[in-house]
Amino acid sequence: MRENWSKITVISVAIVFYGFALLCWFKPADDISEVERRELAKMPELSMDSFAEGSFMDEFEEYAVDQIPFRQGFRTVKAAIGIYALGQLDNNDLYVDEGYIIDMEYPLDVDSVERAADRFTDVYNKYLLDTDVNVYMSIIPDKNYFNDNDVYPIMEYDKMVEIMCENMEYSTYIDIFGELKLEDYYKTDTHWRQEKIISVAEKLGTSMGANIDTEYEQMKVDKTFYGVYYGQMSLPNQGDELYYLTNHTIDDCTVYDYENSRDISMYDMDAATGRDPYEMYLYGPLSLVTITNPNADTGKELIIFRDSFGSSIAPLLATGYSNVTMVDIRYISPEILGNFIEFDNQDVLFLYSTSVLNNSETIK
Amino acid sequence: MLFSSITFLYYFLPAMLLVYFIAPKDFRNAVLVLFSLLFYAWGEPKYVFLMTGTIFAGYFAGLIIGRYRGSKFGKITYLLALFVCLFLLAYFKYADFFIKSFSDATGLSVKLLNIALPIGISFYTFQLISYIIDVYRGDVEAQKDPVKLFAYISMFPQLIAGPIVRYRDIEKTLSERGVSFDSVREGIIRFAMGLGKKVIIANQLAGLCDIVKTTDNNSVLFMWTYAVAAALHIYFDFSGYSDMAIGLGKILGFTFPENFDYPYISGTITEFWRRWHMTLGSWFRDYVYIPMGGSRVGKVRLIFNLFVVWMLTGLWHGAAWNFVLWGLLFAVLLILEKLFFYKSIDKTRVFKHIYVIFIVLISFVIFSGDSLSQIGTQLLDMFGFGGLPLVSEVTIYYLRSYMVIILLGILGATPLVKRLYKWVKGKAPIALVGVLEPIVVIGILLLSTAYLVDGSFNPFLYFRF
Repeated sequence: MRENWSKITVISVAIVFYGFALLCWFKPADDISEVERRELAKMPELSMDSFAEGSFMDEFEEYAVDQIPFRQGFRTVKAAIGIYALGQLDNNDLYVDEGYIIDMEYPLDVDSVERAADRFTDVYNKYLLDTDVNVYMSIIPDKNYFNDNDVYPIMEYDKMVEIMCENMEYSTYIDIFGELKLEDYYKTDTHWRQEKIISVAEKLGTSMGANIDTEYEQMKVDKTFYGVYYGQMSLPNQGDELYYLTNHTIDDCTVYDYENSRDISMYDMDAATGRDPYEMYLYGPLSLVTITNPNADTGKELIIFRDSFGSSIAPLLATGYSNVTMVDIRYISPEILGNFIEFDNQDVLFLYSTSVLNNSETIK
Repeated sequence: MLFSSITFLYYFLPAMLLVYFIAPKDFRNAVLVLFSLLFYAWGEPKYVFLMTGTIFAGYFAGLIIGRYRGSKFGKITYLLALFVCLFLLAYFKYADFFIKSFSDATGLSVKLLNIALPIGISFYTFQLISYIIDVYRGDVEAQKDPVKLFAYISMFPQLIAGPIVRYRDIEKTLSERGVSFDSVREGIIRFAMGLGKKVIIANQLAGLCDIVKTTDNNSVLFMWTYAVAAALHIYFDFSGYSDMAIGLGKILGFTFPENFDYPYISGTITEFWRRWHMTLGSWFRDYVYIPMGGSRVGKVRLIFNLFVVWMLTGLWHGAAWNFVLWGLLFAVLLILEKLFFYKSIDKTRVFKHIYVIFIVLISFVIFSGDSLSQIGTQLLDMFGFGGLPLVSEVTIYYLRSYMVIILLGILGATPLVKRLYKWVKGKAPIALVGVLEPIVVIGILLLSTAYLVDGSFNPFLYFRF
């Protein structure tokens, strides 16, 4: 009798074990993970050198983990067990509050913030010092700023602002923290929603002496938007509706992409239904872009040093300027900016999110 | 290659088991050796030759010692073989430690050799030493079949993390071993339990320890949380790996010795070391402590013996001063217990457990430290002399977040779960147990896989051993 039950245990475990192993061995490799928005590791090439150096083994370990059958299912199981069974309060530093997936941006990395301020000061010293530009600085809070549930640790945002202001005394700080609330961000993504930041654009514009449009037509993208946190969190979550704003002024604007030497439009409708729909705003991570507003009733120009949050607010700011140039010094070295931009008599805005300032190693 | 990796679980292991059980019985040792060499080469492609050479040297030394036992030639070969084993261990594991210590002490700047530590060298060297000594003593006959000796030393289940198996324990099974559904079932269950302990509990606790070590918002409570998490992490990591090794051994037809027996329920430090890393403790007892005279000596000599054994035990765990300090702490406590208060403390019902847990927590802070200065700071912080607040917002957060895992760890470190399993097994209908058992095993396997897939913290504690 006992032997029979042992047989059942051994045989049933062996069937599952070998069944799954066979799937691992013979499942065709996937190129990308849609949910995680990344390329998956490929089977490494085996050679005497790659084996002797150990690179084959390292790469195979990555391949085995990346290409495992039901990968996303396993990630969901791990997240669910961690949160619902083991009572963990976050999964990979993400948590859900009122349907919003929030990255626990914590703690404040003073060195990182100072490093970011130093990089901006380098730009100031190289291009803006002794010119008649007006320099402004503004900081976009991440979603964790709005957490008021006394459970999750919150970064010292005031201290971050203080450090930035102290290290960028040449700039005028524009405080937009009070203009934002959690609902102004996507549930499943790190970014703010363009249709919710008209007041932020207005505040920035007013502070810089520009008249920003407040009336727009709100257009909806047909596809549900699942942002970057959705894949990282790995738990079922309601997706977002993706909107973009337009009006006569925006429609007439022209946009030039220096990186690829091409004219582009304000919104990339292919990207809106692609892997990262947020990239619809000004074609996503481009290093240098200029928006020209032919209907501007002013000659004012604006240069924005920005991260990805800038892509969605720039079209709104463009309504108050004749020309808006956006520079992402994560993708272009500040050393060569002089080849493209003449800094003279413009408004210059350093607009960065707390997440980038707190992880500033990407800023060149 | 780690047992707790997708590569091992779903590529290496199924292929190995398939070939092993298909192969005729006479070839199974050869299959085991070939797969063990692949297993080792996967992590140490260059040092596989070092291990192979060492085993070959041990094989020939064993033959000569066995053949010329009692003669001068036999003794010289024996001493030479021991010297080679200890030299290799000293060179690869301790050379840079000694050089750095010498430089620190003298102020001279002697260049480090920067030798990478071959994985598992402490384990396979100790097994080879025990074999050579046992052959010399006449406790076992020299193994004439090199494949069998290779299988004994390089056998992948116990190659890089133990338990330290004596040759005499598996001498017979190297030649003749049977596998039944019962033994395979036992092995599967043991392996799954070990995998779960390592991946689901130990890795999470390691993550918590890492958070405490790197946070800027520490507190006294967080440091004690760290001490508890570190002690549980080391236990679940180590015993989980031993469980997996013992389970794999069972599946392959071997019976490896137990390595852990709920050490945290001990009432004295003496008892703790009878329950913690038992195969290492018995190795040092049989091959170092007893040959030095053991306890049948005067007090001064006894103290000396214990200090030597425990300093070596500490050093075995890693080439760093914190491990020496860790070993010496236990030496002091074991001497005090032996000479003064073992009986009186053993009579208490609650205090003895508080005493052991307190010492163990302190000891594993020392064990887990990266440097003596960091350990000093951590201990000061734990006792409120580091200027830290009693509690911080971050402490509360992580305590809440890891509370269930810590409680599971505490419960799992006692025999309660085992007793509960036995009780259920005794009460429930056998059919129900028979149905539930594979479900639980498969569940643990898949859940562990899920944790491995999501890139959780999966450190390998044995790199320094």
